[in-house]
Amino acid sequence: MNNPRFRQLLGRSVPTLILLASGIFFTFPLIAMARFAFQNLQVIDLGWNNLFDKWSFSSVTASFSDEFFSEALTLSLKLAVGTALFTLGLLIPTAVWVHLRLPKARVFVEFLTILPYVIPAIALVAGIVVVKPHARWFLNSDYSLIPFYVVLALPFTYRSIDAGLRSIDLKVLVEASRSLGSTWLATLFRVIIPNLRAAIISSTFLTVAVVLGEYTISDVLLKRTFPSFMAQYRQSDPRGGYALAIMALIGTTFLFVAIGVLSRSRSTKLQSNSPQLKNEILT
Amino acid sequence: MVSSNFPPLDNEGAVAQAAAPSHIQKHPRKNLAWFGLVPFFLFLILFLLIPAISVFTQALHDEDGSFGFSAMREAISGQNLDAFVFSLTFSAGAALVGVILGGLLAYAAATAKRPRWLRNIVSSFSGVAANMGGLPLAFAFLSLLGRQGLGTKILNAFGWDLYAGDFRLGEISGLITVYSYFNIPLMVLVILPAIDGLKTSWREACANLGGNTWTYWRRVGLPILAPSLLGGFLLLFANSFSAYATARQLTDNSKIVPLRISFFLGGDVSIGEDAVGYSLAAWMIILMGVCMGAYWLLRRRSEKWSAS
Repeated sequence: MNNPRFRQLLGRSVPTLILLASGIFFTFPLIAMARFAFQNLQVIDLGWNNLFDKWSFSSVTASFSDEFFSEALTLSLKLAVGTALFTLGLLIPTAVWVHLRLPKARVFVEFLTILPYVIPAIALVAGIVVVKPHARWFLNSDYSLIPFYVVLALPFTYRSIDAGLRSIDLKVLVEASRSLGSTWLATLFRVIIPNLRAAIISSTFLTVAVVLGEYTISDVLLKRTFPSFMAQYRQSDPRGGYALAIMALIGTTFLFVAIGVLSRSRSTKLQSNSPQLKNEILT
Repeated sequence: MVSSNFPPLDNEGAVAQAAAPSHIQKHPRKNLAWFGLVPFFLFLILFLLIPAISVFTQALHDEDGSFGFSAMREAISGQNLDAFVFSLTFSAGAALVGVILGGLLAYAAATAKRPRWLRNIVSSFSGVAANMGGLPLAFAFLSLLGRQGLGTKILNAFGWDLYAGDFRLGEISGLITVYSYFNIPLMVLVILPAIDGLKTSWREACANLGGNTWTYWRRVGLPILAPSLLGGFLLLFANSFSAYATARQLTDNSKIVPLRISFFLGGDVSIGEDAVGYSLAAWMIILMGVCMGAYWLLRRRSEKWSAS
């Protein structure tokens, strides 16, 4: 045990083993899902000799032709756009105001933005069900999901915009713009927003990822969003449902990688925090 | 112990910035500044607080419609209590597994010298996987460890019949396995800055004073990581407890509290019993409030040592 060479070997091999085991744990479920979706072969019949037989994308193309597919995808995309715009319209003025006029409210506002963790989606939707009889005119519309999706994405989006504002010298920019005779509106659109480009793009991607993956509220309220369609479609055609899930996964992964690249290029330039969905709340 | 490169940037910057205006503009208009936040507050009240409060008003009804705690009591007795115990157990288990394995993985990635891209891969992948909840995750594990799953078959070939014991994806062991998929990466994200904050000089100081690796971890490393570890545990616990989408696709197990709430909301219960569903949600909000409150406090503490 106290043999230095043995300990050196141990010190090297344990981290390698941990990394290898993690690699297996994190890739195998994805491989199994992809195989199930794209290989038309029962697991029982699977063996070494037919491992590469009967692979095709027919399950995806079949699901595309389902009558509700485009309807559900369109609804989710519209919700994503609506949620992203609503988020930016609400959060940019608020965050700018906090930075310029109310720095002492910063911790308080940040605290408010983690409230969606205290009231998780399933509890929020319970509340919506209670309120529903009093606001049917609003809640019957599919688009009534938008403000609730803004709430669900709030912990991530606010932090992303807040980090963006921290990385620029907002006070100086605004004073310069104002003293050159620009109005508040022009300052916002021509000075602040262009400087927040990276933060705006990442908060938009985060919103899109949240909306395209949200299932709880839409399931309980029986809305026909894309995730609900996916769950329903799986009942009739499991392989197609899984294939759709893979598509969704690739799409959101792409969004997160893009956010990562964006925040890294920005943080090397400006030394700001990197905004990603879950780790935003932690850093 | 005075360290010259104390992590300064964000916090001190914020203090300096916050202090400046209060010296300069001291006019009565200052209180008006709060009005700028009215739209934001209004939004939160309408779409977050009113639903949350409605849950409580429904929960605090007795059967005759008057104010009372009977539904709240019923939500933590009998079958409902079983559900809470079950959910608390698997959430705590999933959080514990996530903290331990996530901590080890983060440490392995942080200390690995070669290859250089390893660390980046681990942290980027964690950013993606920590957010991978919902349907795709459930589908992935159904096709891996379901009864007809690929992994089940492979394990069978090695002579391990997974379903011979009490393994089910919807039971404690299965839920812990599935939730680890997002819990471990989430823990990596929580703990990585804290691990980076451990300075080599501390380890050297410990060695100089005659301590071995064990002493270092027991007296220096773990105490410094403790707030992050505990905070991570709370976050992972809250994350596992409130997850709905994945569980919904894996199983109909009504011992999972979020599923139970949705069954009540779905209206499969007699009139008058629905207050119990809202009480379950109310208890959940209380529990999450305690967890996140404690997490908030711990985070302030762990920021002290984190390399940012």
